[in-house]
Amino acid sequence: MTIRTHSPSQRRVNAIDESTGAGTIVPAPARRRSKGQSWRTRLEIIVLVGPALVMFLSFVIFPVAMAAYYGFFRWKGYGAPTDFVGLQNYLTIFQDSAFLEALSHNGIIVVLSLVLQGPAAILLALLLNRRMRGQSLIRVLIFIPYVISEVVVGTGWGLMLQSAGALNGFLEKIGLGALAQDWLSDPAIAMWTLMLIITWKYIGFAVIIFLAGLQGIPEELTEAAQIDGASFWQIQRRITLPLLGPTLRIWAFLSIIGSLQLFDLVYIVWGQYIASTAGTSTMATYMVASGRNSGNYGFGNAVAVVMFVISLVIALLYQRFVMRRDTEGAITESEK
Amino acid sequence: MKTKRWLAASASLAAGALLLSGCSGTGAADDGSTEMTLWHNSTTGAGKQFWVDAAAAFEKDHDGVTIKIQALQNEDLDGKLQTALNSGNAPDIFLQRGGGKMAAMVEAGQLMDLTDEVSDSATSEISKETFEAETFDDKIWAMPMAVLPGGMFYSQDLFDDAGITENPETIDDLVGAVEKLKDSGVAPIALGAKDAWPAAHWFYFFSLRECSSDTMATAADDMDFSDGCWLKAAQDLEDFASNEPFNGGFLTTSAQQGAGSSAGLVANHKAAMELMGAWDPGVIGSLTPDEKPLADLAWFPFPEISGGNGEPGSMMGGVDGYSCSATAPPECVEFLNYLATADVQENYYKAFNAPPVNTEAQKAVTEPYLKQIIEAYNEAPFVSQWLDTVYGLNVGNALNVAVVDLLAGNGTPEGIIDAVTAAAKKG
Repeated sequence: MTIRTHSPSQRRVNAIDESTGAGTIVPAPARRRSKGQSWRTRLEIIVLVGPALVMFLSFVIFPVAMAAYYGFFRWKGYGAPTDFVGLQNYLTIFQDSAFLEALSHNGIIVVLSLVLQGPAAILLALLLNRRMRGQSLIRVLIFIPYVISEVVVGTGWGLMLQSAGALNGFLEKIGLGALAQDWLSDPAIAMWTLMLIITWKYIGFAVIIFLAGLQGIPEELTEAAQIDGASFWQIQRRITLPLLGPTLRIWAFLSIIGSLQLFDLVYIVWGQYIASTAGTSTMATYMVASGRNSGNYGFGNAVAVVMFVISLVIALLYQRFVMRRDTEGAITESEK
Repeated sequence: MKTKRWLAASASLAAGALLLSGCSGTGAADDGSTEMTLWHNSTTGAGKQFWVDAAAAFEKDHDGVTIKIQALQNEDLDGKLQTALNSGNAPDIFLQRGGGKMAAMVEAGQLMDLTDEVSDSATSEISKETFEAETFDDKIWAMPMAVLPGGMFYSQDLFDDAGITENPETIDDLVGAVEKLKDSGVAPIALGAKDAWPAAHWFYFFSLRECSSDTMATAADDMDFSDGCWLKAAQDLEDFASNEPFNGGFLTTSAQQGAGSSAGLVANHKAAMELMGAWDPGVIGSLTPDEKPLADLAWFPFPEISGGNGEPGSMMGGVDGYSCSATAPPECVEFLNYLATADVQENYYKAFNAPPVNTEAQKAVTEPYLKQIIEAYNEAPFVSQWLDTVYGLNVGNALNVAVVDLLAGNGTPEGIIDAVTAAAKKG
């Protein structure tokens, strides 16, 4: 083993240390602004922020507000809503066992996504972060499912997993016909089938994020640990994983929000009607089934609002309690 | 002037984006010409061409009238139509399936009243019962185009191979045929339960046999399903399903998409029969290997049961029609009357391989199965619309899903009654 005392990276660290020394941040001198300048600044703000703000208000805030409004009506979707029912729709949602079932499915999907995808993706990322033959090819292969549209993925898996589909056909051909299952419509299996498809589809995204996170971990830490005689697993457990923390928490956040809003894969693989029969319904499929499919547009809007609020609350809580360290830059502060 | 127009254009664009509203681009122009838009659901082949030809022929006889045709994918049509109607930019002429949705459109003031506008020839050549399907509050809101009653479509070759010599007339006969077909190695009955409504057809038809026409009419009005015949029908279905008559994995089989769908299974001789509406020959034909009508396709009516209150020979089926929007120009009605004439109806039958509503045009039908369907329909003592159409989206959808639950083994016959009763309270 060769020990380099003056690696380029070490010099870089020294430079950073110098720059973060006390007193280096000098407040900018207050500039005297003429009237013309402030007018110009305002115009710049309006021109640069304006279009985005208009789009945001028109296509995000306005629809959310309208959904909340429509949620107070019994409305068939033809003509303007007139039959005001107050909070009735909202009360009905929480009394409907089909919604509570869908909500619990969302909960299961959140937990299983974290438990199944997280460790597997970390493992894959750690392995792919080492130099090896065919590294790029493997990365691409793992990432491909994430790039393919949900419709294509759903249609493909749906066809393969049908009772008369390719998977059961394959099992029979290799003499394992006894293992052939009703993968999609048996409630005992369907949720696991869904999790398999979700994991296959989204694990590439987790791996890529983790790989990016790994790139940000300074090599010298690993090198120092190696010098001190730490094993590969010790290094991963004590250095890599803790430093991967911010990336992990961001990924978990995206995964939770995605799981709460899961719609397309279920809708395409199980269709408009049988998700609840098969035990794979989610809040979003419930919204379409009880809103659009049933022609109860007021009710469907109320479900959308409930989904929005649940997602928002979870997102805010997560940011407040889990990501607080990341947003406040606690890692650098704690070193002081 | 130019600036003003630009401003007006951007203002209306913004309003359109925000409120999904805008002014109708059709109707009478200053120069006396009229433009009408037409929305239908035949996106391919002869069906699409039928509308092009019909519109061209009408334009030829009506100076200054142009019809702009838009063919929409069937599954997209309802949603787009609803948005268009609400935005005040509705098509002038569009496909109408009747039932609860039509009632909702009428109540929102979105349809043109056709009661006094239907031509004499249409009144005399199209049966009163057919017009009833397009009637709400004693007024006619659409011109009927095709009758699409349901029954069992089957492959004569597969029946012959299984040694079935006579069409099943009772449910017991049907169960016997199912056993013979199983022995011959094909799926006896194809079922696309993924789409829910094909599974629900089975409950509809058992109800038609168990319930009197009065009970069915009453339930359509007050959504009361307490009469014992409804539960009996659900139990009949459960008993019948216990014979495992449907194709393997029927819960995840779709109805009309691809070779693996229920219609595709019949088209490719993988399953022997299917309970479906009279649009099925066209769908099956499009899914055969050579995309030609299935040569050995045949039909028999839904079997009778003993002890039911339904009058033997009763039929169930929808009527496809065309409506004018409330703001359509008067030429719209003329076009609908033109569509109802015997010649156009004959073209419709040829293009869609479906029974036309015009009794004169019905004489041109040659396929034995279509002739049988028309005969059974014209002789039926009672014809009900598809129940999910009658009950509207809310209760209809709950009913369909509850039937799927029952067939999946997750539900009970009582569960169907409970589901529709609960949905009726919601609506």
